[in-house]
Order: sequence, then C-alpha cells, then structure tokens
Amino acid sequence: MTAAAFCLTYAALAALCLAMDRHHADVFGDDPPPRRRLALRVAGWALLGLSLWAAAAPRGWAYGSTQWTGMLALDGLLLIVLLPYAPRAAVGLGVLCLAAAPLLAAL
Amino acid sequence: MLRYRLAVASRAAAAIFGGYAFASALAACLAVWLPGPRTEAVLAATMLAFLAHACAALWVFATRSAVRAWAGVAGVTAVLAGLYMLARLTGSA
Amino acid sequence: MKPGNAQEGLRQAMSWLHTWTGLVLGWVLFAMFLTGTLAFFRPEITAWMQPEARPAMVEPARALDTAVDYLQRHGPDSPRWFVSLPGEREPAMRLAWQAARPQPGQRRFSIVYLDPASGREIAARETRGGDFLYRFHFELGIGYPWGRWLAGVAAMFMLVAIVSGVITHKKIFTDFFTFRPGKGQRSWLDGHNALSVLGLPFHFMITFSGLLLLMAMLLPAGILAAYDSERAFFDEAFPAFRMPEASGRSAPLAPLAPMLADARMHWQGGSVGRVTVSRPNDANALVSFTRDEGDRISYGRGSPVRVYDGATGRARSQSQDPGGATLVAGTVVGLHLGYFAHPLLRWLYFLVGLAGTAMVGSGLLLWVAKRRQKHAKAAQPPFSLRLVESLNVGSIAGLCVAVGAYFWANRLLPAGLAGRADWEVRAFFAAWALAFAHAGFAGRRGWGAQWAAAAVLLGGVPLLNAATSDRHLGHSLAQGDWVMAGFDLAALACGLLFAWLAVKALRARRQAAHAAQAAQAVQAAAQAARAARATQAGLPEGATEAGRP
Repeated sequence: MTAAAFCLTYAALAALCLAMDRHHADVFGDDPPPRRRLALRVAGWALLGLSLWAAAAPRGWAYGSTQWTGMLALDGLLLIVLLPYAPRAAVGLGVLCLAAAPLLAAL
Repeated sequence: MLRYRLAVASRAAAAIFGGYAFASALAACLAVWLPGPRTEAVLAATMLAFLAHACAALWVFATRSAVRAWAGVAGVTAVLAGLYMLARLTGSA
Repeated sequence: MKPGNAQEGLRQAMSWLHTWTGLVLGWVLFAMFLTGTLAFFRPEITAWMQPEARPAMVEPARALDTAVDYLQRHGPDSPRWFVSLPGEREPAMRLAWQAARPQPGQRRFSIVYLDPASGREIAARETRGGDFLYRFHFELGIGYPWGRWLAGVAAMFMLVAIVSGVITHKKIFTDFFTFRPGKGQRSWLDGHNALSVLGLPFHFMITFSGLLLLMAMLLPAGILAAYDSERAFFDEAFPAFRMPEASGRSAPLAPLAPMLADARMHWQGGSVGRVTVSRPNDANALVSFTRDEGDRISYGRGSPVRVYDGATGRARSQSQDPGGATLVAGTVVGLHLGYFAHPLLRWLYFLVGLAGTAMVGSGLLLWVAKRRQKHAKAAQPPFSLRLVESLNVGSIAGLCVAVGAYFWANRLLPAGLAGRADWEVRAFFAAWALAFAHAGFAGRRGWGAQWAAAAVLLGGVPLLNAATSDRHLGHSLAQGDWVMAGFDLAALACGLLFAWLAVKALRARRQAAHAAQAAQAVQAAAQAARAARATQAGLPEGATEAGRP
C-alpha cells in the first residue's frame, strides 16, 4: 500500500505539472486545450487525495500524513529533475505509476 | 553609504534584540494571562513567542523606516510588559 | 531600500532579508542540517563504528533483571539509576547511575553499555559513534552553553529566512516544477527554489521544533513568568521524576519484572523505553517506567510515565493525559526527533534532510553565482566574494571530507588505543581544519580537489569495512545485516555523488581556465595591435596618437 502511495503521488504531480502551459509545451509542443487542462487538474488533485489515503492506510493518519509529506517532496524532486532532461520519460513514468498503483495496492 | 549601513544596523538591532524583548514580553504576558494549567499556558506562550519573534523581525525590515521599526517594537513590548506587571501586581490570572 | 510599489517594496525587502539571514549563518546551518540528517541514523552509525559488538536481542523483562543485577553490584549507594531498555534499533542497554558522593573533578554520572544477554559490558572499540554527530548537530563542537546558543540563533535566522523566502518567491506556484539546468545563476536559483518549496513543510517543522527543543535556554521568559524557577516548571511538567527524600531506612528493591508487566498492560502492550530507579535500596525508593517515545509521534520528549513503589512494587501514580498545548508541542518535537519513524519513513527523513542540506548549500552557491556574474568583467573580484567562496568550499565540501575522515579514523586507529574516541573526533576536526586551510589558499578552485577527497573517503567505505572487519558487504547482504549493508551502500552512494560533483567542478575549472586564457589572448592581441599602430605612427611604444597608452 505504501508503494502504491508512492506511485500515486508521482502520477498526481505529473498530472498537475502537465496541466501547466509551460510544461505541457515541454512535452507535447504546445499549450494544453482547456478541456485537457481541466481533466489533468481534476485527475491530479484526485490522485493526490487518493495517495494520501493510501499513505494513511497502514499506520493511521498521523504517521501516514508525515510519510506522505516526505513522498511528496521526493517524488516532486524526481519529476523536477527528469523534466528538463527527459520530459517524455517523466510523463511516461507517471503513466507507469498510475498503472502500477492498483497492482501494488493489491499485493 | 554610511547612513544606509547605520539604518541597516539599526533595523538589525531592532529585529534581533528588540524582537527578543518583544517575544519575551509576549511569552511572560501570555504565560500569566492564559487560562488553564500553568504548564499548558507556558508551553503555548513560548511557542507563540518564537513565531512572534520571527514575525517581528520580518516587520522590522518591511516597515518604512528604522525609526518606525524601533517605535513599533518598543511600543508593543511596553504594552505587553505592562499587562504582565498588571497580572503580577493584582495577583490575578 | 524602499522603492515605490508597496507589494514590490515588501518583496524586495524580504528578498534582502532572506539573502542576509541565509548568508550570515548559512555555513553553520549547513553543518547543522548535514549532521542532523546523519543523526537520524545515530544508533546505526554507532553500530557500524563498533563492528565487534553483536548484542543479541533479549526480551525486556530479562534485560531489566540483568541491568538491576549490574547496578546493584556497581552502584548500590547511588541516588538514581537509569536504564534504557533494548529496542530494535539499539539491542544494547545503556545504564547510567549518579555518583553517591561525587568528588570534585569526578563525573557525576557513570555510563556503561551492557550486552543484555551476557550481563557484561559490550566489548568493542571505544567510540562516540553516531552520538558525536548527533551532539555536534546542536552543540557545534562548542562547549555548553555557547554551542547551543549559536545553534539556537542559527535556527531563528533560519525561521526568518524560510518565511521571508516564501514571501519573496513571487512565482511559487507557477514555478513549482521549473528547473532549467545549464544556465548558470538561473539554474542555481531554480534548484534552490525547488529544494526549498518541495521540502517546505519539513524545513519549517524542523526549524520551529528545533527552537522548541532549546526553549528553556533560548526563551525562558514564559517559564520564569509563571514559575519561581525552571526547576519548578520541570517538576510540574514531569512530576514522575521528582526525587523522593531518602528515608535512611534500607529496604530491598522489589523485583522489577512484575512492575514492567503491569505498566505494559496499562499501555495495551506499548513498549517501555526507560526505567528510572530513585533512591534504590531505600524505603522511599520509586521506580518510574517511561513509555517508549517511538510509540506515538506526540510523545516527543514527554511520553507517559507510571511510577511504582520501589520496596513494595505497588503502583503509585501515572502521568496525566496531556493538554492541548502539551500535545501540540510534543507532536512538533516528536516530528523533529523522528523516534516514531519505522525504517521506510526514517529513510524518507534522511533523504528530505539531505534535500534541506542541499537547499542551504545551493543558497550559498547561488549568492556566489550572482556576485560572480556581477563582477565578471573585474580583474580581481572583491574580497567579500572571495571570502564567501572560500568559506563555501571549506564548510560544504570540507565538512563532507571531515565526516569521511571520522569514519576512516574509526577503522584505522587501533582498537585498543587509549582515548581513541577522542582521537576519532580530533581526526574529524583536523580534516575539517585542513579543508578550510586549503579553501583559504585555493578559493573556488578548491572544489574539485575537496569533492574528490570526499568521494574517495565516502565511496571507499565499503572497501574500508572489508579491510578492517568481517562484516563487509559480502556477508552483510547475505545475512540480511541491513545496518552494516545500509551504511556501506549509503556511503558508496554519497561517494558517487561527490565524484560526480568533483568531475563537474574540475570541468568547470578547466572551462574557466580556457576562458581566462582566451580573454588574455584577446587582450594581448589588442595590446600588440596598439603597439604596432604606435610604431607605424613613429611614436614611442606604449603611446597612441592621442597621447594616451
């Protein structure tokens, strides 16, 4: 479940990042159309909430939210470092994480 | 240039020492005025005082002049110290 | 200092404040962050530094009996005994007892580390281990109370730096994911911003809680306003530790194991961290069982205590449920200490702590980058810039070298050497002093050499371990000895990071040297051209038609 939380956090940040004009342009070449931007934002925030819930599941909210804050920082830094060097990989990893999360949660 | 440096030094002194006096006065004042068990009041007072010191330092450098900075810090500290003395003298709180 | 627009004025003032509060004590803060981050693994570092020690895990009741046996033999007249029960991270027991009648110059407390299985002192090389780094984190190697004061002042500067940094960071949301490498000053700014913003909850928490941990020293006004003395405050806040009066009548100490079981039952299976026996073997003896601080975040520095009568074993009192402010303070402090963290979270703490360390370091380097750009055309950059550059090299790369030296000294100094714990510490400071001296001479050209030294020292740790003990990676990985393996692998990872930084620094230095050579060549060519024109015009060398050289 913790591994799933890690994945969900990264996917969430990737989605929120992609919703921004500048970074969408880095990856796809132009600004996101309004519908896509909204979808990415909604997905991003939803995944973020889900990741917090997944982080809290094993040991409760106090412990979980502390752990989640750390995950957020590290996943965020990973995304930030990947973005300028390998933007498509950064996004691809987000997709991979999204797919892996339910599998990891089931383990 | 010297005037600028003196102004900066003055603000720094106001932020560090004046701010510490302000924080201490706030801690003392809250410690005696806050209701509830004494240990609770002391902890709450001290936590707030640390944050207040930081805020005071920020305000000292944001405000229009070094004179204003000193006036503000000294004034508030005096009020808080007065309230603390009031509590001690009346034996209340 | 105050331009027109109020918003802009505030941002500019906060930017100035952020720069100065960050710079003035930035080197101290870097050291605090680095050693504090390492201190999250304090017992593991000590374990690596005592590879001969292999205390077995023993269950608490038996360990406690062993401890009491030892204390009855070595300190029966002591007014107070302290026993730290074995835990997962520290299987050894720490025993301390107060001297009955301390002679002048004699230590007030005796401390031993016991192997709970054998009941004997741990037979391992004398070392301060992770404790040295932990203490350095808030004492900075300076005697009481000045070291703590410096750390406290640095923490307050950090708090102001954090808040002013947030206020001045205009595009904190739009630039959240922005990082533009390879663009000099811009890249440093992006990196510094990323590390700061993403770690903001951690940085704010660690700083504020650090101040709280030193509150009695830094800001005693609240305590002294409400109480006659600090002692009175602590007695009321921690009533279980009030020292009972000696009755003078002796009474044998009742067995502690049943009291331990009773305490654990009341805490629904919670662990006991410490046992304190006050006035042992006296009729007024009291035994306090302190719950393991790692059981809950909010236990911070004040976990529940149950007190028992020492002679009869009857339960006497227990600590009250904490009030709101105590809970908040306890939680904040608990978050700083991280005792509650299980291994994964502990590694997260470590990594985010390293990010915080890098935040401070990148801030110092950003300051230099900005000023270098400003003085790019100058023949000799100003003294202040060169001073900061030297301080940066010594306190950033130099500190990493010092930590490496500390570990190497631990393994290279003979195990039986008298006072070897002190010699290890001297090695740390000697290496750091050397690094500063080198930085003084070489300035910013020293980065490459120092990162390389750090890379060799830290990256070489697994080899050092293999050469000086039998608990090297070959064994530790096979046997699941994760403390040893984790240390070796983490050191190796740091070594690789430092190697990368060394390569970058040397490359940058070569580029700078080429640029300087090219600039010199251009200047020389221009000089030659002028001289040629002057000769042609029949004027003496060095003069032009206008009469100026």
